[in-house]
Amino acid sequence: MFLALKELKKEKLRSGLMIAMIVLISYLIFILTSLALGLARENTAAINQWGAQRIALNSTANTDLRQSFLTQQQVGKLSQKEALIGETSVVAKASGHKQLSATFIGLKSHQFIAQNLKLAGGRPVRHAYEVVADDSLKRAGYHLNSQLKLNDTAQKFTIVGFTKNAKLNISPIIYGQLTTWQSLRNMVNGPVGSAIVSKDSHYKTTQKGVKVYSKQQVINKLPGYTAQNMTFMLMIGFLMVISLIIIAVFLYILTMQKLPNYAVLRVQGIPSKVLVGATISQSVLLVLSGLAIGALLTAITAIIMPAAVPMAFDLTILGAVGVGLLIMALLGGLIPVRSVLNVDPISVIGG
Amino acid sequence: MNAFEMKHVNQTFGTGSAEVQVLHDVNFSAQPGTLSLIMGPSGSGKSTFLTIAGGLLTPTSGTVTVNGTDYHDRSKKERDALRLDEIGFILQTYHLLPYLTVADQLKLVTKVKPTGNLEPEALKQVLATLGIQDLLHKYPGELSGGQQQRVAIARALYPDPAIILADEPTAALDGERVKVVAQLLKTLAVQHQKAVVVVTHDARLVEAADQLYHMQDGVLTKAS
Repeated sequence: MFLALKELKKEKLRSGLMIAMIVLISYLIFILTSLALGLARENTAAINQWGAQRIALNSTANTDLRQSFLTQQQVGKLSQKEALIGETSVVAKASGHKQLSATFIGLKSHQFIAQNLKLAGGRPVRHAYEVVADDSLKRAGYHLNSQLKLNDTAQKFTIVGFTKNAKLNISPIIYGQLTTWQSLRNMVNGPVGSAIVSKDSHYKTTQKGVKVYSKQQVINKLPGYTAQNMTFMLMIGFLMVISLIIIAVFLYILTMQKLPNYAVLRVQGIPSKVLVGATISQSVLLVLSGLAIGALLTAITAIIMPAAVPMAFDLTILGAVGVGLLIMALLGGLIPVRSVLNVDPISVIGG
Repeated sequence: MNAFEMKHVNQTFGTGSAEVQVLHDVNFSAQPGTLSLIMGPSGSGKSTFLTIAGGLLTPTSGTVTVNGTDYHDRSKKERDALRLDEIGFILQTYHLLPYLTVADQLKLVTKVKPTGNLEPEALKQVLATLGIQDLLHKYPGELSGGQQQRVAIARALYPDPAIILADEPTAALDGERVKVVAQLLKTLAVQHQKAVVVVTHDARLVEAADQLYHMQDGVLTKAS
């Protein structure tokens, strides 16, 4: 540590450039991770908020909530741990507002999802033409008692409440009654819902044409969800590997320049472990400094970022990413360590 | 007892038609309190002699003992420790760490070997003798070649070794400084009872020597 600290102190510009590069990489990784997490949450916020464990869909719906329709016979009798929902895409329209794409979720007011819905303002739905909307509609200019039309319905719906984290597949949710869902889908005498959501992780059904999936199976089939996550994971993975290469190359060059000095120290009996320790300490110090500044920049970004940007900052996940970068730095630092261990003290004798 | 002794040391490099014998049956001993000078032209085997003397190279045959113990009986780690504790190397290529001040170059030794180094007063005296007492906060890049060489000498002497092996210690020094370093090496030998072995081209050091050797084509002979 003594040698590493002294070198960082003396070679400020060189160390500064290296730290700057690690700052940029770590900042980029932190922001990408937060963006990936934010988007993932906006895809799944509602499902998670419901506390869903198992979801039953029509077996021919390809695990896609939008394509699933269940008849009254398929739904059968539900316990208190199950709730029937009807899901459909809608466009909300109101005079003075831009058209807004949303997801309508029809609920039965006595079932657990409607009962547990946490309101950020207003009251629950009581009548057919009332809705509770995600609070992102507030940012779009809607407020309590605002009236809007869904698709081409002649009837206007009144917003009686707002709720937080009501997003499905990045689209804001408008909650209403299940009968409203039927009328929106023009299926008044047909299917009674899209899916059965259960809080029970052991939920099963023997109804014909119905298949039960885990929450994650349904989430993975949300349009674009898996591809989006894989893309982010790939980008983050590449950045991790790039950081490893940058740190390894820099430390290798720095170490190569110091080998004659190290050879003299080896002649004088300074143990290899002291020199190896200096190399590893140097990489750890550089990366920790870079990570600290990168984390600070990320925190500042989190404060100034508009709420509309789908970013989520989770300390545990960002901490894990930081530890990952540190491990990469240690691996990068091990490459020049080989050169230090192989330094030939004889090379400096005889001028 | 001899502080340092070589008996029937031979060193060969390469094999078959490429085989070169660099040292031929070298016998040498250095006692505490003496300054031995080994002179010879380039390629005569002086550096190989020094490398073997410092335990950095195991000879093809023969024995090398330091304070009565054969190098063969020590592991690589123990040889490192021996060099740190018992042998002070002064090299022609001093390569001071560029990011350590003169004081830190010495502090590094303390970090690795916390005890048994020169006492502050003795160190002060060595630094004053070498004329570098005012350079303690300078970095190597701020020093002349001669000043760096003297710092390297101070670094080698600071662990208070029993044996000092010097490779062309006066190569970068002017006439006046050669006298100072010769006097310092002599003082270390006589007053501090060190066994000092100097390998050099520099005939200006002959006056200070107690024992003079010549190395020619790997054969070491004692001058009369």
